[in-house]
Formats: sequence, structure tokens, C-alpha cells
Amino acid sequence: MDGQRLHPAANAVRYLFLIVIAAAFLIPVVFVAFTALKSRPELATSRFYAFPKDIQWGNFQKAWELGHLGMYTQNTLFICLVKVPLGIFVEAFAAFALTRMVFKRSNAMFAFFLVGMMIPMQATLVPLNIFLNKTHLVSTYPGIFLVYIGFGIPFGILILRGFFRTIPKEIDEAALIDGCGELGTFFRIILPLSMPAIATLVIFDFMATWNEFLLAQIFITKDAMKTITTGLMSFRGEHATDYTLMNAGVLISILPSLLVYLLFQKYFVSGLAGSVKG
Amino acid sequence: MAQRAWKPWLFLAPALIIYLIVIFVPSIYTFYLSFFNWNGVSPQKTFVGLSNYIQLLTKDNVFQLALKNNLLWTIASLVFIMGFGFALALLLNRKLKGRVAFRGIFYFPFLLSGIVVATGWSWMYNPTNGFVNKLLASIGLESWTHAWLAEPKTALPAVFIAALWQGVGQPMVLFLAGLQTIPADPYEAAIIDGAKSHQRFRYITLPLLRETFVIVFATTMIGSMKVYDIIYGMTGGGPAESTQVLSSWMYYQTFKFANIGTGSAISFFLVMVTMVVIIPYVFYTTKKSHV
Repeated sequence: MDGQRLHPAANAVRYLFLIVIAAAFLIPVVFVAFTALKSRPELATSRFYAFPKDIQWGNFQKAWELGHLGMYTQNTLFICLVKVPLGIFVEAFAAFALTRMVFKRSNAMFAFFLVGMMIPMQATLVPLNIFLNKTHLVSTYPGIFLVYIGFGIPFGILILRGFFRTIPKEIDEAALIDGCGELGTFFRIILPLSMPAIATLVIFDFMATWNEFLLAQIFITKDAMKTITTGLMSFRGEHATDYTLMNAGVLISILPSLLVYLLFQKYFVSGLAGSVKG
Repeated sequence: MAQRAWKPWLFLAPALIIYLIVIFVPSIYTFYLSFFNWNGVSPQKTFVGLSNYIQLLTKDNVFQLALKNNLLWTIASLVFIMGFGFALALLLNRKLKGRVAFRGIFYFPFLLSGIVVATGWSWMYNPTNGFVNKLLASIGLESWTHAWLAEPKTALPAVFIAALWQGVGQPMVLFLAGLQTIPADPYEAAIIDGAKSHQRFRYITLPLLRETFVIVFATTMIGSMKVYDIIYGMTGGGPAESTQVLSSWMYYQTFKFANIGTGSAISFFLVMVTMVVIIPYVFYTTKKSHV
């Protein structure tokens, strides 16, 4: 922080800037919310910036039920609840081997996993599609989990390996003397000690899975299995001109993200920076 | 530690197998497919050598437009998203009342999916009822109104504004974290030596933020090369293909027109462009960490 105390006038200018920019940032959300809360006749006649007179909570119910956003939300939540823990287990096992077990090619293996972060998803889609079709896994949950977990692996290993390395090796040795095998060390010592890193990863992985679009677009072809992103796209297709409903849908899909942000704010502002530095 | 040689591989196996199936082998197979003509269904693949690549670079006007759009997008992101993010970080790097709230407001859009942002902003740009045109009309600038997303000239900039709104929080948070690692002493020493605030900024803040700049620069570049969701969600590459980027054109070529070879060539093009950014970045960061 710059050492000098600010002149009150300079501080006022700073506030003015911040407030104006923040207000501009809030406009889209407020406009979407106002639209979502109006009835269609009111939308047609009222001023665009006017607060809704007769609040239509029913719009949300319609979007949730008729627009199937409820179903899409449940589908996405289900994918997140399975994918995130399963993926982290897989990544933690690998990170454990890379940091706690002595073997020759551990650095080369780590580099090999990191290559995955450089490959754009697009470069895998066609072969993956052929593979999932041949194994009849397209539009099945095992197929979805496989693909989603796969793309999380490089980042997950990067984060967990980085954290596992900070845990002193003496702890493992003590555990070994106390009769802990590798699995025991992994489950009873390394995982509990790594909770801060795992918590960060859970939150980021949850958001990434929640927001995933390209994979869902290609590998989930059944309407009943669509996620919130692909679901919102088809919802837009079906209710293209019903703006009140459409914006209620947008608001519904914003809410879970807002909730996660408000609950876990500190992870987003500190954890992220740390993880990028690896 | 006494340990059997296969044990580490047992722990690595799940991740390694999934990684090979989902990322590694497919990307190599994509490279292979980029030398063939194939519609994805017929048992016959015709080897065409480099002709998919040559076709893209010499004949496919949309590909060239997509490439140009990607470049424009990248430059605009580096200038505006990175610059605006930096400016916000500087504004917020003080003890301020409401700092957390401001930070949250600027950062939160980054956590939304591109599709949600695209849907909300499509409504903002709606020609008859959208906020932008309504606002322009209400302040007497009716002549400035546009069908923002339906006119080739305005579509890409309009989508970019939405992307700016969504993306600015990411560099802001990274710059804020970087700014907070700078100790107070150099500033105090500089003040004693009579350095003006712009001099302190130029000779202390900027040099000490170099590493953060590298990180933000690399992540912004890579993100802009891959941009897809927000464009697909707002314009679908239209009107008249004017907002196509490499990712979206790859999607259309592969999954809509069933030109698997062409689509594969585009995605490999994307890999190569990304590598150009990432390899120096990886060298830079690993060199740093060994010092």
C-alpha cells in the first residue's frame, strides 16, 4: 500500500469513481431482475428503469417448472456432487504418489499431467465423441463423469501436489513407524492436513462444473439430462419472446453462484491468486 | 523407505488412465484426423495430407475472419480487461469503507457461466426492449440505437462489452493480491527521498508487480484464444459469420457440417497458437521458481 495518507478530496474522488463504476456493473443484474419480476403487460407499458409495481413471483415458478429449470438445476447439482469429490480423490491419489512416494519419473509424470492444461478442450472432442459412442456412454452419467473428471485432473493435481509438498516428510516417517501403511498415511494424515487446499479446490471445481458448457453441449444429448447452461440455451429457444420468463431463468441460474460466492468469499480472493502461482 | 516399485503407479493409475482416455489420446487422434477428409460416419477416411490446413488458410474466408476476430479479441482483452482490472485494483488498494462490497461487485460476474452472462446481456441489447436502446432513446439519442447483436459492425464489440463486464474481476483480484505483497518500506523510503506519487508508481509499484503482470498476461491471452461460450450464447457466430472465432468455427465445422478433418485442423491450429503463449510462460515461471 502506498505509504502516503490520502488527501480527503482525493479520497472523495476515489469513492465517486468506485460508486459510478459499481453502479454501472450492477445495471445488467438490476435490469434482468426488474424484467423477471414484471408481468408481460407491465413490461410492455412500464418504463424500462421502473421498479416492478406488481411483483410476479410466479415467473420463477413458471421458469422452474414449465421451463424445466428445476430439472436442469437438479441435474447439474447431481453432476457436481458426484464429480467434485470423485475427481478430487483421483487427483489426491495421484498427487500423493507424486509427492510422498519415491519413484524415478515423478517429475516427468507431473509435467505430463500439466501438458493437459495446455490442450484446449476442442482438440479432444471428436475422438472423445467416437469413444463415448462406441462404448455407449454418450448421455450416460458414467460417460459424463469420466469426461468432466478428466478435464479437472491437470489443475487438481497442480494444486494438490503444490500443497502436499509443503507437508513435512517427517510426518510420513512417524506414521510409518506407528504402523501406518501408504493408504493409512493418505487417509489419516495427508488428507486431513490438506483441508485448506481441498476446500479451495472443491469450491473452484464446483463452480467450473456448474458453469461447464462445451462438454455438456456435446456429450449430453438427452433433454432430461441437460445441465443448467445447456438447459438455459434450450429454454431460450423455447421461450424466445417471453422476456419476463427468460430473465427469471437467468436469475435462477445466477443465484447458486451468488450463494457460493457469499459463503466462500475468502477462497475466491486469496485462494485463486495462490493457486495460479502454483 | 522400503517400498515396492509398482506402488506409486497404483496410486497414479486412476488419474493416469482417465487422463489418457479423456485428454491425451484424443488430442493425438485429433492431430491424426486433421490430415483426413471424413464426415464422421462413413467407414472411409480419405488421406489428404496438409490440404485441410492449406484450405483453411487460403480458401476458408470464415476461418480467416475467425482468426482475425480471435486476434482482435485478444488485443482488446489485454488492453481493456487487463487495463481496467489493474485500474480497479489500484482504486481498491486502500483501506476503504465498503472495499469488500466493491470488490465483490466487480469480481462476481467472473463466477457466472458464459451462457448466463450471454443470456442476460442479450436482453440488455434487445433492439426493442433492451436497456441499451431504451436508455439511448430516453436521452434523445434515438439515432444511435442499433440492433446491436444483429448488425455485423456492432455485434463483436457488443459481445466484447459483455465479456469485459464478466472478465474484469479476474485480473483485478490477481493485481490486488500482487499489490498486497509489496511492502510499505520502499514507498516510505521514496517519500523521504522526495519521490512524487507518479514516480513511486513508475519505479516501485510497476516493477514489483512484474510477476503478476506475466500471470495476468498469460491467463488473459489463453482465455481469449479459447473464447467460446459467451460468443456462442450471444450471436452463435453470426450475423453473417461476423463474430466467428476459432472455437466456434471448429464447433460448426465439426458438429454441424460434419467436416471432421477441417474441424480437427482448426482445433489443432488452436493448440499451436496456445502453445506459442504457454511455452514461454512455462519457461519464465519455472526459471523464476529455481532462482
